[in-house]
Amino acid sequence: MAAEEEYLEAEENLEAIITRIEHKSRKIETLLKQSKPVDALKTALEGSALKTRDERCKSANWIVVHRAVMAIKDVDGMISSLDPEYYDILMKYLYRGLATGDRPTCDQCLRIHEKLTEKAGLGCILRSLSDTVNTV
Amino acid sequence: MAAVAVHQFAECITCHAWSPDQSMVAFCPNNSEVHIYKLFGEKWEKMHVLSKHDQIVCGIDWSLKSNKLVTVSHDRNSYVWSQEGTEWVPTLVILRLNRAALCVQWSPKENKFAVGSGAKSICICYYEQENNWWVSKLIRKRHESSVTNVAWHPDNILLATTSTDGKCRVFSTYIKGVDSKESESSSSDLKFGEQIAQLDLSVTWAFGVRWSPSGSILAYAGHNSMIHFIDDVKSNPSAQSIPLRDLPLRDLLFLSDRVVVGVGFDCNPMIFTADDTGLWSFTKFLDQRKAAPSSSRGSQLSEAFGKLYGTSKQVPSNDTVEPSKTRGGAHENCITCIVPLWKRGNTTLCRFSTSGLDGKVVIWELDIPK
Repeated sequence: MAAEEEYLEAEENLEAIITRIEHKSRKIETLLKQSKPVDALKTALEGSALKTRDERCKSANWIVVHRAVMAIKDVDGMISSLDPEYYDILMKYLYRGLATGDRPTCDQCLRIHEKLTEKAGLGCILRSLSDTVNTV
Repeated sequence: MAAVAVHQFAECITCHAWSPDQSMVAFCPNNSEVHIYKLFGEKWEKMHVLSKHDQIVCGIDWSLKSNKLVTVSHDRNSYVWSQEGTEWVPTLVILRLNRAALCVQWSPKENKFAVGSGAKSICICYYEQENNWWVSKLIRKRHESSVTNVAWHPDNILLATTSTDGKCRVFSTYIKGVDSKESESSSSDLKFGEQIAQLDLSVTWAFGVRWSPSGSILAYAGHNSMIHFIDDVKSNPSAQSIPLRDLPLRDLLFLSDRVVVGVGFDCNPMIFTADDTGLWSFTKFLDQRKAAPSSSRGSQLSEAFGKLYGTSKQVPSNDTVEPSKTRGGAHENCITCIVPLWKRGNTTLCRFSTSGLDGKVVIWELDIPK
């Protein structure tokens, strides 16, 4: 019963989520033009609707995050300025990136994965693997 | 401030318990037996081998006042052992389970014990004087999966359980004739098997539930490397979830209302403390760590990551290959069990022992600030 209710709630909000992602996408393009890749990534990660089960929303958000991730040049700087609350979400997106099999994406995700693991520890990886409720 | 004694008893230890005077230790060396060793000066001598079970003994508890051992096994049975002279005499307790028993604990008054099982149920066993045997009452409802740990509240009636369905539940185990009606507890809670609370903080398997000594705080560990602290479960629960940096915990122990020790896959006990406002945080690892966290975390791990990162052209491959074996700590493999060692007259606990898959029992001692 509870699962059904959650699903219905998510459906109603789907349009709201998609709109929010589009809004984020425009903001990220602006930030990237201003050479602020770290802020772009933060914008991409925050407000991610992790509880929704809708694949379109997840894909849309992934595209936005992917754009921001590929634009990162200074990985160390990015990790040190990222809020710890975003470590788990970033790790989940990194695994999604690694799953694509696309060479440039995987290279970039692997680079960031190494630094993020050093900073956040194995617990971060564990949480991204075991969390079946908040998925990307 | 750390490991006081390290004893290698077997290749692998499932669980252990200490005698009331702490001179003897009972453990299961990952088979169907229970070995009891006694310390004579500096040497440990095997005193007894209790072999009534058919499969792995996964839970042992030694009652401190009545000196009785209770063992539960994957063979769905439980025995209560009493020492008569030099022999240990078993009494079979028919649990009425159709799956393995997974954990056991004596209640604070030692008139009952609770068994968690893979049959998604808990058995509360008490002694019936008239028939001279142990009766088992089952709580069958509510759990959706195996019960991994049980913990008694100091009031001898409330029982907290953790399960592989990720939830922590608190039940009332009031039994007429065994428990006396306390004036503080409301009559609605007193029905046997009544669920008082269900905590849904972990999305993964939950382990290691414990009550604080005063019974006001409940703590349990989630398999997603998190530890949860819940204040005031009965009336107004407020929870804190702390994500851990490293691998998950398997068992917990409250040293006081403000200090918790967690043990698990890191092979190193972790201390958590609460400040004056009740906010919990990770304080430190008890054992010394081999290397700084940023560099290699242990040979096998760095080798694996090295191979992973080494395939990318931009990242230089990791050439340092350290010899695998010791991480430099007391335990070499996952710690699965932590048992308190009370010192006579002390109100705060500062000694405890841990046992793990490496077959070692390690005794730790801490100075706890008041």
